[in-house]
Amino acid sequence: MWTERENDLLIAVLDELIPANKKVGVPAAGALGVAGFLPTATSYAPDPVGSVKAVLKSIIDKSSDFTMLEGVEKIALLRDVETENAVDFGTLVQLTYMGYYSRPEVRSMFGVGAHAVQPKGYDVPRESDEFMESLTAPVRARGKFFRVV
Amino acid sequence: MKNETVDVLIIGAGASGAAIAWSLLETRMRILCLEQGPHVADKDYPSRDDDYELSRYGKFSCDPNVRGLKQDYPINADDSCIMPVNFNAVGGSTINFLGHWPRMKPSDFRTKSLDGVAEDWPVNYAMLAPFYAMNDETTGVSGLGGNPAYPDYTPPLPPIPMGKLGQTLAKGFNKMGWHWWPSDVSILSQDYDGRQKCVNAGTCDLGCAAGAKGGTNFTYWPILENAGVELRTESRVREITVDQSTGFATGVIYHGPDGQVHEQKAELVIVACNGVGTPRLLLNSKSKMFPDGLANRSGMVGKNLMFHPLTGVSGVFNEPMKGHEGPMACSILSQEFYENDPSRDFMRGYGLHSGRSTTPMTYALGGYGVDNPIPWGAQHREVMDNVYPYLAGLTVVAEDLPEEHNRVTLDPDLADSDGIPAPKITYRLGDNSRKMLKHGEERAKEVLMAAGAKKVLTKGDDDVWWRAGWHQMGTCRMGNDPKKSIVNSWGRSHDVKNLFIVDGSIFVTAGAVNPTSTIQALSLYIGDSIKNNIETLFD
Ligand SMILES: Cc1cc2nc3c(=O)[nH]c(=O)nc-3n(C[C@H](O)[C@H](O)[C@H](O)COP(=O)(O)OP(=O)(O)OC[C@H]3O[C@@H](n4cnc5c(N)ncnc54)[C@H](O)[C@@H]3O)c2cc1C
Ligand code: SF4
Repeated sequence: MWTERENDLLIAVLDELIPANKKVGVPAAGALGVAGFLPTATSYAPDPVGSVKAVLKSIIDKSSDFTMLEGVEKIALLRDVETENAVDFGTLVQLTYMGYYSRPEVRSMFGVGAHAVQPKGYDVPRESDEFMESLTAPVRARGKFFRVV
Repeated sequence: MKNETVDVLIIGAGASGAAIAWSLLETRMRILCLEQGPHVADKDYPSRDDDYELSRYGKFSCDPNVRGLKQDYPINADDSCIMPVNFNAVGGSTINFLGHWPRMKPSDFRTKSLDGVAEDWPVNYAMLAPFYAMNDETTGVSGLGGNPAYPDYTPPLPPIPMGKLGQTLAKGFNKMGWHWWPSDVSILSQDYDGRQKCVNAGTCDLGCAAGAKGGTNFTYWPILENAGVELRTESRVREITVDQSTGFATGVIYHGPDGQVHEQKAELVIVACNGVGTPRLLLNSKSKMFPDGLANRSGMVGKNLMFHPLTGVSGVFNEPMKGHEGPMACSILSQEFYENDPSRDFMRGYGLHSGRSTTPMTYALGGYGVDNPIPWGAQHREVMDNVYPYLAGLTVVAEDLPEEHNRVTLDPDLADSDGIPAPKITYRLGDNSRKMLKHGEERAKEVLMAAGAKKVLTKGDDDVWWRAGWHQMGTCRMGNDPKKSIVNSWGRSHDVKNLFIVDGSIFVTAGAVNPTSTIQALSLYIGDSIKNNIETLFD
């Protein structure tokens, strides 16, 4: 599929697309292993491997070692690739988001349950009748609010 | 019973097909329903999977062109700013619908006489009210009685939780002095009729594995199948056949699960294929007598397609809004700007719906119904860490007006897996809708700020949501004048006396509310009219 060198490059690119938030322990996409998701994503893009390879080739054409560049240089280079090959780059971004956020442990970092939402769901208490009574009071006070025909 | 003539043949096992079958049960007529999709077992719903969000972009997408399953028909929407979406299986689009359940309002049925636009319906709110109530009982509808925006009625079950997000927004509406009310929903707030209450999973578009949502696969179909209604799945109707001497429908030609073409005879044919599928089927049913498609002497089949064009505005609040907890579409609904107001620069009105926020992947990819991923890089982190958890949004749901140039035709090249020509959509957003959406966007910003948002986010362009063709209406509209409508005031074709249509294609106008409670009430009303007119049904 792709060589070890390409794989290292891909991980570095993914780390730029979704960087880490070290303060709260949110990992970057490359570090999380999203590279492994990409070739499996054939239900979501016609040719994921082809798109990844096209993006990697554009990067390699511009820099012999992307991984050694400074942060701002990496971003600038990726922006150039995005402009020149919007379709493949767009596919890579989309699939990266899919691979990253489909990981249950990532969901929980954003306050969303890691569990499959059925059958457990979430416990959301129903508002009490008194609370609803007081919250809707201003609306009811205005009286009928539709055209009688 | 197979292939013997049946009394009633219903095409489509979704919201409207199930409701009319239920209504006709008591006649003891032999009822057969042909449905192009399969039964979907609730164990197969993706919300049971760890990576459930992925299926929103694959096999459980609301977009048939993305799903591309055998039972789906492709839709060419290249000439439309809105893509019609659906689900094709037993339950139809109620499998992946969101269960928001507002009724249309009395004025919605009188737009011509009240406001001088579109046409009046040949039925009115009072005629449908008992059928709304009947349907609410069977479906299991939750909500709070006493909504001042409607004639008095009370849903059978108490409201579902509004949650932090709904409460926050409600307080904003109160500050503005504007109408709002907890949404009516076809979602169980309590165990009901042997079904389990909602567990607030928030993935209603991926099928409700709890069985709490009012999909007809959970409500009507179990009753119907127990009562002996025959449901033939994976059976796609190619055309409705007509006796060329009498002009009566004789039955259908359909593709069965065995891959073979079958003929099924029927005394009465009822079409329930949704607002795109129904005109498609009629246009595909050409004969010497109906060279332009069945029941189309008026030339109106497929015309006046209406959606509910949408736009969204989000507020970023100081605390997490927990928007992923609870049913997706519905928490509260404001109808402050619903009724016509001559001082505005557009006719008719819109609703402000509080959808709950989506799960992280869907948000990162642009939100539900939108394909526009958020930025990558440092900005990505900023949005996901400091915006996403704090969001509460409002959707502006506009009343679309009927315009003949917005229509469903047959695509000359595209076909489904049985080789049946696919529909093509031609739809342009009207000026009236555009102005209405703009107005709604401004009001949504005001109320979000009043609710305490520290900033508001809009899409920043004039585009409406792309995959938001959830509601497909008007393409075979009802009316008293056979030159301007396809069916009469009780759903019977003007041209073919034993052909009925019961889905949203018979809507005359769209209102600015989700249509399914009205579709089903209308379907029950048509069933009742068939029973009342049984002696003279074909006169
Ligand atoms: C994602 C989504 C969210 C929605 N949310 C809401 C909501 O919150 N509230 C609301 O009121 N509405 C909502 N809707 C709309 C609602 O689902 C529809 O209004 C309703 O299901 C329409 O009922 P129907 O009977 O006309 O069509 P459907 O329920 O779509 O049923 C039509 C059936 O006909 C079958 N069929 C079509 N053609 C053929 C053929 N040739 N042969 C055999 N079978 C055929 C189809 O397979 C399908 O099962 C939503 C829809 C979607 C897709
Ligand atoms: S939120 Fe409720 S209705 Fe929606 S899928 Fe979950 S359990 Fe079903």
